[in-house]
Amino acid sequence: MNLVWKIKPRKPNKYYNVENNNPISRDRIINDLVPKRFGKRGMIWTSILIIFCLAGAYAYYRQLTQGLVVTNMRDYVSWGIYISNFVFFVAISLVGSLITAILRLADVHWSTPLTRIAEIIAVSAIVFASLIIIVDMGRPERFMNLFLHGRLQSPIIWDVTVISTYFLISLFLLYLPLLPDLKILILHRKPSVNKFHKLYVFLGSFWKGHKDQFRINDKSINILCVMIIPVAFCIHTVTSWLFATTYRPGWDSTNFGAYFISGAFLVGAGAVVVAMYVFRRYYKLEKYITELHFEKMGKIVVMLGLLYLYFNINEYLIPAFKMKKAEEEHLRELFSGSYAIMFWFAIFVGMLIPIFILITKKGRKPLPMFIAGIMVVVGAWFKRYLIVTPTLLHPFLPMQNVPESYKHYFPSWEEWAIAIGSLAGALLIITFFVRILPIIPIYETIIEQNEESQKDHSL
Amino acid sequence: MKKAKKTIRYSLLLVLVISILMPNIVDAQDASDGTPILKLQYFNINNSVQYLLLESSTKKNKVFLAQKNISYKVYLDSVSSGNFISEVKTNESGKAKMFIPPNLKSIWDKSSTHLFIVMKGDEQVSSDYSITKARLEIDTATIDDIKNISVKIFKDDNGKLIAAPDIEMKVGIKRLVGILSGGDEETYTSDSTGLVTVPFTKINMPGDSLGNLILIAKIEDNEILGNIIVEKKASWGVPTVAGEDFFSKRELWSTRFRSPYWLLFMAYAIIIGVYSTLIYLILQLIKTIKIGK
Repeated sequence: MNLVWKIKPRKPNKYYNVENNNPISRDRIINDLVPKRFGKRGMIWTSILIIFCLAGAYAYYRQLTQGLVVTNMRDYVSWGIYISNFVFFVAISLVGSLITAILRLADVHWSTPLTRIAEIIAVSAIVFASLIIIVDMGRPERFMNLFLHGRLQSPIIWDVTVISTYFLISLFLLYLPLLPDLKILILHRKPSVNKFHKLYVFLGSFWKGHKDQFRINDKSINILCVMIIPVAFCIHTVTSWLFATTYRPGWDSTNFGAYFISGAFLVGAGAVVVAMYVFRRYYKLEKYITELHFEKMGKIVVMLGLLYLYFNINEYLIPAFKMKKAEEEHLRELFSGSYAIMFWFAIFVGMLIPIFILITKKGRKPLPMFIAGIMVVVGAWFKRYLIVTPTLLHPFLPMQNVPESYKHYFPSWEEWAIAIGSLAGALLIITFFVRILPIIPIYETIIEQNEESQKDHSL
Repeated sequence: MKKAKKTIRYSLLLVLVISILMPNIVDAQDASDGTPILKLQYFNINNSVQYLLLESSTKKNKVFLAQKNISYKVYLDSVSSGNFISEVKTNESGKAKMFIPPNLKSIWDKSSTHLFIVMKGDEQVSSDYSITKARLEIDTATIDDIKNISVKIFKDDNGKLIAAPDIEMKVGIKRLVGILSGGDEETYTSDSTGLVTVPFTKINMPGDSLGNLILIAKIEDNEILGNIIVEKKASWGVPTVAGEDFFSKRELWSTRFRSPYWLLFMAYAIIIGVYSTLIYLILQLIKTIKIGK
C-alpha cells in the first residue's frame, strides 16, 4: 500500500477503546470500518422502509391525480402535517453543522467517529425537507416558477434559496472528508464493497494522498466548517420566519429564530445519539463509539435540552402571563384543551424526561441514552405539529360561514402515508449511505490511533 | 347565641346547596326551552325597496342554533292566495330574504299598517308582526358655516304622510362596517315635527376620490316602523386618491421587479458571498483532481 499518511499536529485522542494499551492496528481498523453487507435484520429493515416509501408514493399518486382535496387541509389549516414534517427535517439537518463544524472548529477530537453519521443524517434530512415542500404544493409541476417568478420579498424564496445552499454545503462536507477513505476502499477491495468499486473509483480515483491534496482538502474542509454555521443558522431562522412574519397567535414572536435553532440542535443531537447506538450495536463498533462518546453526547443533549426548555418557557409563559384575547384561546387549547395531551407529551417526553435521564452518570450509558434520544426525536416531531396546526385553527377573526370540517384538522390517511413515507425515505437514504460508505471515518481513525501510538512510545 | 349560630350555619348550608343546584335548575329550564324562535324584520331602503328578512333558530342550553333548510310561506295581512308574498327556505345561517312582489301593490297602498303572517306548512307560526308605512328623508344644510344633516321621518296615516315624533335613529357617515355618528351623540330622536338636525362635527373625513361621503340615517328595529335606511351623498370629505405610484414603489408589498434596494443589496451580498466561496471550493477540488492525475 502506497499511501502517504499526513501526520497532523493534533491532540492525542483517548476516546477509543485500546486493547492492552496497544492502539488498534491499521488493518484491523480498515476491516472493522469498511461497509458491511446487510444481514437478515438489515434486509428486513430495508424492506420495511421500502414498503413505507411505496405506500407514501401511492398516496402521493392519489394526491397528484385527485388534488390536495384528498388531504384534510382546508382554508384555515393550509399547512398541516407536511409542513410539520418539513420543519422537523430542517431541524434534524442542523446536526451536521453542530457535530462536524462547531466541534471541529473548537478542536474537539472525540467527535471524529460521529462526524460522518451527523453528515449523513444532515444530507438525508435536507433532501426530504426539500421534497416534502414539493409534496405540499397543489401544482408541483409549477415548482420551477418559484425560481423563475419568485419575489425576493417573500420569506418562502429565502427558504428555498437557503435550503438549496445548505444542501450543497452539506454534500460537500460529506464528500471532502470522504476522499482519503475512498482511496482506502479502492485499494482494499473487500468482498462486502466490491460491487461499489466503480462508484468509489468514479468518486475518488484522483485521490493519491499527495501532500498538496491533503493541504487543499484540509483548507477546504475548514472553509466549509466556517461557512456552514451561518448558513445552518440561516436555514432554521428563515424557516422560523415563515411563521414569525405571519401575524397569528402563537407565531407572532421576535424570539422564533433562536427558539427554532435551539430546538433543531436538540433534535439533531438526539438523532445522532439514536444512530450512534444503533450502528454501534449492529456493526459491533464498541471500540470506536465508546461509552465516553455517549457520556460526552449526553452532556451536550442535556445542555441543549435545557436551552430549548428556556426558549419554550419564553414562548409560552410570557404570552400566557399577558393572556391577550387573541392568544388566549390558542394557549388554553394547548395547556388544557384538545391539544393538551400532545403539548405536555412534547414538553415532558421531548425535553424534561430526557434531561432527567441524562443528567445522571448512569443515564449517560448507551441504552438509557438511546431511549432518551428516541424520546427527544419523537417529542420533537409532535412539537413541530403543535407549532403549525393549533395556530392555524385560531385565526384572529372568528371562523364564520364555513363547513364544520374547516374548523378541525386531523390528517387524512394519504397525509399520514406520505409523512411516514418521507420519514422512511430519509431513513432509507441513511441506510444506503451506511451500506456504501464507512460510517466512521477510516483515515482519520487510523491517524488518531497512530498519534496515540506515537504518544505512548514517546512516554 | 347558640341558636343564632345554628341559624347562620343552616343559612350558609342553604346558600351553598342553592348555589350548587341553581345552575342545574337554570340549565334544566333552558333544556326544555327547545321551541323554535322566529324573527321577522321589515326593511325599507331609500324609500324604494321593501323587503322582509326571516330568521329561524332554536335556543338550547343558552345557545341559539340556526335552523337551516326550513320552508316558510309568508302572507300580507291575511292567509289567502291573493295575499301571498313568497315561499322561502332558510339558508345555513337560518335566514331567508323576500321582496314584496309588485302584484300586492293595491293591497299595500290600501292601508297604512300591514300585518305579516308566516306559515310553516299548515301551521301559523307568526301573526303578530305588523308595521306602519313610513318615509325617511335626509338632506344637508349649511347654516352659519356649520354643516348640518337634516333628517325627517313621516308615517302614513290613511294615505297622508304625517310627522312621526320620538323615533330613535342613527345619523352619520356610512363606513365599511357600520355608521360613524355625524355629530357627538350615538343616536338621535325626532322632535314633534319628525325632524332631527345633526350638526356635522366629523370634519376632514376621508371620502372617495372626489371627497364624497355617504350620509346615512337608519331606524333600527322600531316596533312600529321596522327598519328604514336612507342615504345621501355629500361632498364634505377629503378626497382620497390612491397614489398612482403606490404599486410602483420599491416596497415589501410590491411586485418582484420592485424589490427594495436594501433587500436586494442584503440578499445578493449574502448569495454572492456564499456562492463565490462555493465556486472557490469547486476550483480547489478541480485542483485536487489535477494533482492526482
